[in-house]
Amino acid sequence: MSTRGAVVLRTNIGRPVAFVRKIPWTAASSELREHFAQFGHVRKCTVPFDKETGFHKGMGWIHFSSEEELHNALQQENHIIDGVKLHVQPQKPKALQGDQTSDEEKDF
Amino acid sequence: MAALLRPARWLLRAAAAPYLPLSLRLLAGGPGRPDAAVCLRAARARPVAGGLLSQARLHSIAAEKKNYLQEEPTSSHRRNASQFDWALMRLDNSVRRTGRIPKTLLQKVFDNTCHSGSPGGNQALLLLRSCGSLLPELKLSERTEFAHKIWDELQKLGTVYDVSHYNALLKVYLQNDHKFSPTDFLARMEKGNIQPNRVTYQRLIAAYCNMGDIEGASTILGFMKTKDLPVTEAVFSALVTGHARSGDMENAENILTVMKEAGIEPGPDTYLALLNAYAEKGDIDHVKQTLEKVEKSDLYLMDRDLLQIILSFSKAGYPQYVPEILEKITYERRYIPDTMNLILLLVTEKLEDTALQILLACPISRESSQNDFGSFFLRHCVTMNTPAEKLKDYCKKLKEAQLHTSPLQFTLQCALVAQKLDLAKVLMKALKEEGFPIRTHYFWPLLVGHQKEKNVQGIVEVLKGMHEIGVTPDQETYVNYVFPCFDSIKSVRAVLQENGCPHDDNVFSQAELRSKAVNGNLDYILSFLESNTLPFSFSSLRGSLILDCVCSNLLLLLQCTHFLSYQITELLYKDGRYCQEPPGPTEAVGYFLYNLIDSMSDSEVQAKEERLRQYFHQLKEMNVKIPENIYRGIRNLLDSYHVPELIKDVNILVEREKTDSRKPSSSDLESKLEKLKAENQPIGDILKQLIVMLCSEENMQKALELKAKYESDMVVGGYAALINLCCRHDNAEDALNLKREFDRLDSSAVLDTGKYVRLVKVLGKHGKLQDAINILKEMKEKDVPVKDATVLSFFHILNGAALRGETETVKQLHEAIVTLGLAKPSTALSSPLVTLYLEKDDLPAALESTIDCYEKYKILPRIHDVLCKLIEKGETELIQKAMDFVSQEQGEMTMLYDLFFAFLQTGNYKEAKKIIETPGIRARPTRLQWFCDRCIANNQVETLEKLVELTQKLFECDRDQLYYSLLKLYKVNDDWQKADAVWNKMQEENIIPREKTLRLLAEILRNNNQEVPFDVPELWYEEEKDCPTSLPSPVEVNLQQGLLNACHRRRNKAVSRSIFCSNIFNIRTVVFIISPWCSTIYYRIRSIAETHIKGFTLNDAANSLLIITQVRRDYLKDALTTLKTALDLDQIPSRLAVTRLIQACALKGDTESIHDIQKLVNGLEDSIGLSRMVFINNIALAQIKNNNIDVAIESIENMLTSENQTVDPQYFGLAYLFRKVIEGQLEPALKKISIMAERLANQFAVYKPVTDLFLQLVDSGKVNDARALLQRCGAIAEQMPILLVFCIRNCQRPGKAPVMKSLLELIPELIDKEEAYTCLMKSYVFDNDVTSAKALYESLTAKNVKLNDLFLKRYAVLLKNAGESVPFTEPPESFEFYAKQLKESKETHL
Repeated sequence: MSTRGAVVLRTNIGRPVAFVRKIPWTAASSELREHFAQFGHVRKCTVPFDKETGFHKGMGWIHFSSEEELHNALQQENHIIDGVKLHVQPQKPKALQGDQTSDEEKDF
Repeated sequence: MAALLRPARWLLRAAAAPYLPLSLRLLAGGPGRPDAAVCLRAARARPVAGGLLSQARLHSIAAEKKNYLQEEPTSSHRRNASQFDWALMRLDNSVRRTGRIPKTLLQKVFDNTCHSGSPGGNQALLLLRSCGSLLPELKLSERTEFAHKIWDELQKLGTVYDVSHYNALLKVYLQNDHKFSPTDFLARMEKGNIQPNRVTYQRLIAAYCNMGDIEGASTILGFMKTKDLPVTEAVFSALVTGHARSGDMENAENILTVMKEAGIEPGPDTYLALLNAYAEKGDIDHVKQTLEKVEKSDLYLMDRDLLQIILSFSKAGYPQYVPEILEKITYERRYIPDTMNLILLLVTEKLEDTALQILLACPISRESSQNDFGSFFLRHCVTMNTPAEKLKDYCKKLKEAQLHTSPLQFTLQCALVAQKLDLAKVLMKALKEEGFPIRTHYFWPLLVGHQKEKNVQGIVEVLKGMHEIGVTPDQETYVNYVFPCFDSIKSVRAVLQENGCPHDDNVFSQAELRSKAVNGNLDYILSFLESNTLPFSFSSLRGSLILDCVCSNLLLLLQCTHFLSYQITELLYKDGRYCQEPPGPTEAVGYFLYNLIDSMSDSEVQAKEERLRQYFHQLKEMNVKIPENIYRGIRNLLDSYHVPELIKDVNILVEREKTDSRKPSSSDLESKLEKLKAENQPIGDILKQLIVMLCSEENMQKALELKAKYESDMVVGGYAALINLCCRHDNAEDALNLKREFDRLDSSAVLDTGKYVRLVKVLGKHGKLQDAINILKEMKEKDVPVKDATVLSFFHILNGAALRGETETVKQLHEAIVTLGLAKPSTALSSPLVTLYLEKDDLPAALESTIDCYEKYKILPRIHDVLCKLIEKGETELIQKAMDFVSQEQGEMTMLYDLFFAFLQTGNYKEAKKIIETPGIRARPTRLQWFCDRCIANNQVETLEKLVELTQKLFECDRDQLYYSLLKLYKVNDDWQKADAVWNKMQEENIIPREKTLRLLAEILRNNNQEVPFDVPELWYEEEKDCPTSLPSPVEVNLQQGLLNACHRRRNKAVSRSIFCSNIFNIRTVVFIISPWCSTIYYRIRSIAETHIKGFTLNDAANSLLIITQVRRDYLKDALTTLKTALDLDQIPSRLAVTRLIQACALKGDTESIHDIQKLVNGLEDSIGLSRMVFINNIALAQIKNNNIDVAIESIENMLTSENQTVDPQYFGLAYLFRKVIEGQLEPALKKISIMAERLANQFAVYKPVTDLFLQLVDSGKVNDARALLQRCGAIAEQMPILLVFCIRNCQRPGKAPVMKSLLELIPELIDKEEAYTCLMKSYVFDNDVTSAKALYESLTAKNVKLNDLFLKRYAVLLKNAGESVPFTEPPESFEFYAKQLKESKETHL
């Protein structure tokens, strides 16, 4: 299938990102990184801090380098840091916008 | 705790007073006595100290009913109302959750109220009443101060105070132990021209007693007596306290005797006053004795009462007795907020050790080890500056008691939030000792505070503290929290060195670099990188580059687009007026809907299916219609999104044209009929018309005769009308016969639902039970739609039969309806089963029937009536049986309510009271409302009064709602005296009436020419009536406000400053969404936006949508201008927008505009994603439309055969052009194009055009033409990639099975390709084409092709749905599973 039309068959490429909630205030990105390293290579780990308060908001994102690693992390039932259980879920893919093509545009 | 909730009781305390005889005389004295006795009895049930909790909680329901997002202030009154609701909701939520209000929240609500302009009386009341015991975290004096601030501030803003406000202020004084002069207070009221009422006097007495001033109290009592006001239990309780505080315990005790002498047993409130009096004296023995006495009586002290005793002991300095009272506490769940508030209050009063004692006694968290308990205590200790060592010890104890898993960490967090460095240091050291790591970011909250104030010294202190604990600041610490405090980084370095703050130079310079990067100082970065000698990782830089900021802003904008559809949906919902505007609402709304759906992606539509459905139905209710042609467009869209389920919901909106032809009279028709008959012409049609007309004239006799006369010419429609007529005339015999004839005529014909139901009714009524059941069966078989109204009709049929006592009819028809699944066995539908026996007074059978219904359908029809009858007849055994059953099946609470209502209904109030006082029972608003409504409907005044009275202490009871119901009933009876008494009672109970309650009360009083003693909230819409409706402004203003509201909401949600951009964006979003819907409104909003927002321009997305809209509305010139404007602003319009515009021009034959566009977007094609083919196709199409066929063909041919080709022939897709030509039936053009395509194939070996043409012919159903083409040019069959793409694309859409089949027929070798046969199957499944699918499967298995699981799954499901057997084992997993599996296997192959 070498024609441009093949583009139409868009595949949903999920990013291997875990969304973590309920992070205790005592932990920050390095603690998260350390914890999640057991499941694979953590490419990036962000726990945004609120500069108005100096605390983070209990949420963070772990970017793994592969789906498999993310899967490993999600498989584990309990993630505990500083005695607090984290909520870990896959990051929902953002809905692609402006990407819809009607049949009129497809046939060039 | 109770103390906080009903504080009047425990705050009434004082010193010595020798004046008992006077007060006793007054109480027992002469003519006043009968009065007092009566009132005392009444007051027992509703003691003065009504729960503050209930006061606040009563609003919860009001708040819940409003949807704040839909609020749209149109006038100040309206704003006031919504403002009140908002405040109410915030405060109420707080009280409901915690039993208290944090000061910050109250402050916030207060500020907001002030900003809203002139706050109403209700708001003032709400705020004032929150200043008492609901603020346990505040010192008593601070609370009163707050109340005074509110009082003065609101008065300045023009709030009018009435007696309820003064009473509320008094209550606050009492709750806060505020010393004041009651006489001054009275004078103040007098000055304000406010008449004190009973509640005022009661509270003033309490105030005197509080100070131990019996003489003062007696004076007020004297006042009350002269005014003939009743004396309530609250007064007695106050006097107990008064005497006790005056040091005269003996007379305090005597009060109880006096009460008894007056013929009244002292209630729990009086005993509590006495208990508190003993507790204040540290007299544990008497406390215990009294408690025992209460236990032995039938009185019941609640946990909150006991908590008050504890407070009295602790405040008086007898903490040693606390454990003894604690033992008696049952720790009912609902009192836990009370307990928590007591703990807080004790901490506020610096009695934190006692507070801990109570905390440790709480049984809560031991059951659920997950949740920590005690955080509120620790936090408050931190706020109240409890010594650090003490706190450390508390943490230890809490942990030991397993109440809290990490008390030290939590306390540290509180210390950090409160910026208490010293405490934080102690706690961190303690944590360190426990082996818990101390991390850099713990210090950030401390730095934040100093940073805001630019307090360099503070920053230095914290940095030193870090060093002391052994933590080194990292880059982020410097960049985010230290540097911003200084003018330059140089000075930071200097100050740190000066103050002896050690720092890591490497970290420091990296931080410096990052800081520069964030500020966009690229020069610095460059020079740093050039001169840098240290090892430096680029990754440390990456996170801070400016690009990131830009991206996050973009992302924000993107998120807003998600928001858009909701915004506008709500905007539309909110105001029916939009749709009633004159300029063709039908078309406007239609377009809007089309665009709304069009602008959503298929997944979005699927996800929001339910929401959209509700929206459509909402529109339907608003009587909005859309034209049929737009409906068809929407239908196609929904089809393509695979949500055909929504089509029916849109369909309800379609405007049906009414065919209103003038009808001739029946005699005209009859003569015409006879004439036709005489001429031997077909008469079926006219006969039907005539019968229908006779039916509408209710002329059964004539209609039946006519039918008999022309039986052979009867048609289905005539029969239907006749059957219905006979049913209406209760003529079961004829109806049944007609139905049989009808069936013989056409056994598949279906009657309307209503006609079936009427048949069932008539047949049932005339004992033709089996026939009735057969009709029901037919309804099921023929899938007759059953609506709510149908179910209601079923009920009436059954109920009628039940009232007639036709047992078999009821039972059998009910059974048939339910088992056939025509209706769910609801309580209503099944109630006739019970009615049957109730009517016959056969109670055991009635109960049996109810229970039977529960066992069969999990419902209990008419249980209330059954219970009432059982109670009336004193059938104790049956009652027991019923209660056991309900209790077991639906829980004890339901049982208690059932019993409560039954006792109330039958006038057994004493029993009802016992029931509703069962510990643990809480309010069930829907059940209470049910009973209220019942009372109102049946005008049962006494019953409802009793309900309101007995539920006073019911946990979480919405008092205002109950009083509202009561007032409704009084209004029915026009009883203003009782209504006026309600006003007093509500103050006594400390209830804040909702506006509707006040309005109703005022209405009753006014109707009876009585003065209204309060400020009546006005209806906001009254003002609106005066608005001239001819002006278009209301719409504009509304819209604008809606938009601004939307912005406000966004701002509330905002987390960063950049949200401001999104606000503007939001307006734009709304602008372009609204634009297609009504262009005038669009221009109006745009001008609003332009005047309000500096530099307002539509952004890329908005402009693109505007172009699409303009194209759709055929404003091509405008669209072109928009495109130009957008491009001038360096915007990149969307591919869709540009393409649509080009296509529209092409269809008009406007070659020139297409060339213009081509020039305009020159160089941007890649950014837009525009293929050159768009221009080639459309220019050619435009030329063909202008009859320049040869020019078009020549230029295409040139492009494909010239040396320097701009487009690879492989990608030279002309399908669009071909399709348009075929669709437009441009035969000459098609012929020439065909020749060209063949020539290109045969002479130049360019096969793409001919293959595309071939496929388009197949697609358009021109199979013969396609075949001929294939025969002339066999190479088409070899163009596998092109053919496969066609297959893949087509199988995504339904309705393509015939196309696919034709294609396979023409090119059979396609079947060997996996892609192709997969697509074929998909297509067949889409269209439910079982035969073709079977053929495909068989030919594939014959060839021994190994089929994948997804293919098999699809096929299997198709077969199953068609009710056929599956010749293999169906793959067990879901479609998604196999799709994923297939995808993965393909990826590994790649």
